This record gives sequence, C-alpha cells and structure tokens, in this order.
Amino acid sequence: MRSRNPDPKRVLSIDPTSRGFGFVVFESPTTLADWGCKAIRQQDEAKTLAKVLELIHHYRPGIMVLEDYKGSRRCARVQNLLDAVCRLATTEGLKTRCIPVLRVKKVFLTFRARTKDEIAHSVAQQLPELAPELPRYRKPWMSEGSQMAIFDAAALALTYFHSRPLRNRNVPKQLRTEPNSCLVSDSL
Amino acid sequence: MASHKLPNYLRQHRKHLGFSQRDIAFLLGGRNVSRPCRYEHFSCTPVLRTALALAVILRVPVQELFSGEYQEIESVVRRQAQRLRDRLTTEQPDERRSRKLAQLRVICER
Repeated sequence: MRSRNPDPKRVLSIDPTSRGFGFVVFESPTTLADWGCKAIRQQDEAKTLAKVLELIHHYRPGIMVLEDYKGSRRCARVQNLLDAVCRLATTEGLKTRCIPVLRVKKVFLTFRARTKDEIAHSVAQQLPELAPELPRYRKPWMSEGSQMAIFDAAALALTYFHSRPLRNRNVPKQLRTEPNSCLVSDSL
Repeated sequence: MASHKLPNYLRQHRKHLGFSQRDIAFLLGGRNVSRPCRYEHFSCTPVLRTALALAVILRVPVQELFSGEYQEIESVVRRQAQRLRDRLTTEQPDERRSRKLAQLRVICER
C-alpha cells in the first residue's frame, strides 16, 4: 500500500457498542467515504483498537470524533475503550473531538428529532446513503439493532460539523438550521 | 489546506448502490471476490479495462472514481510539463515552439 498524507478535512467518527463499534468516515459534511459496523466477539479492547488503527491507516483522517462519556450512562468497559481510542488517535497524530450526547440532542432538536430513533431518521434524511441501514423502530422488548451504532457515529460527526465556528464551516444550505439554533458559537 | 483524496472511491459508490463485492466480481466477469477487495483496500490499481468496467457498473466517471490516483497522476504530468516548458524556453523561438509553450502553460496552470 502506498503511504498517503492525512486529509485534514476527513473525519472519522466511532461509536463503541457492546458488540463492537460503528464507524462513519466523512469527506465533507455531506459526503460519506465509508460507513459500517465492526463486530468484536469477545469484547477485547486490543482487538477493537487494532480495528480502529486499521481504519485510521486506511482512510488517513485528520480528525476523530468520539462520544464524551462524562455524564452519560456508558458502562466502564466502553468508557475505558473510549479513553484508549482517544489515546490511540493522539499517538497517530489525529485531532480528537469528544462530543457529549447532550450536545447531539441539542443539535438534532433543531431538526425536530428528540429520541434516538428520530435522530437516526434525521441522519438518514441528511445522508441518504445510510437510509438502507436504518434499523426498524425498536419496541421496548426488542434489543437495539447493531446498525444503530452507524447512526450514533454519524450523529456525533454531524454535531461536530454543526458545532464548528461559522468561518470553518462548509455546510451546504439544505443542512443549515434556523437562525435561533444552538449550533453557532459552541467551541470544542 | 489541500485535500488529499483517497486513491479510489469504489467502496463508497458500491455501498451506495447496494452491491456486494461478490456482485462486482461477477459483473467484472470473474468469480474471485479478492480482486474488488484488493482495489477497495488500495493494495492494487485496476487496469484500464477494469477501471472502465467499474465506471460503467457504478455509473461514475473514472476520473471521479479514482480521484486520488487522478490527483497524483495530474501532479506528475504537471511537473513534467514544467520541465518541458523550461527546456523549450532555452530553444530558438519559432511559431511551433510558442504554440507548444502556450499548451504547456495551460497544463501547468490548470
């Protein structure tokens, strides 16, 4: 494989789950380069990190977006994993941005999406490539679809794009929100 | 800052159309999934005939499908054009030379 320079605009977003992790790679706020789920059977941190490293080497992103678990109900394993992924990204020379779920909810409220399912639908609306991956509506007795991790990762990345200062933004008109939105001045 | 494109966007367009690597391998006239997989992992570049077939399957121009490769080749050609231009400027001036220089300028400044 030829060595490639990292693209400062390429964004890799990762959302760990109990069965592995979902990832999304953005070329720009409206262009996806890749998306998917990686299954790690024995919840092995080293295996997860190896898969993340594979993605970093393959796509050479400039920025990695992760969830800021402070204040959330993420289990200890996922919290440790997020810390490890963050450290890995730093050693690979990537900028890391940790975004709390509350901010994601705040951003998607402007798209009239409150619940996780509504957020996933809003993401699928903004990124039609992801629409076939959309899991069906989850009833209280059902477990969450593994594909939901892709939408969580995409929601984190979209929140990152919307939370950047205006001068750095390259968000097209159809993705821009109403003037009273909360997105404008949040500095990460 | 200049953006560094990926060598190709085969996976993105394939997933967008809902094709599997097996489907692509079949459409390329083979059964071996490893070929499209290798292209997607950037471990090898397809020959022109395969590249054109991929453009037909994915309905994307070759230049867009292999934009990283294109970017790389473009910079190499531009560098060579610059060298040829430098060489031509030292030669005797005539009409043919000035026409060539004009074309090379277009390549260099594109």
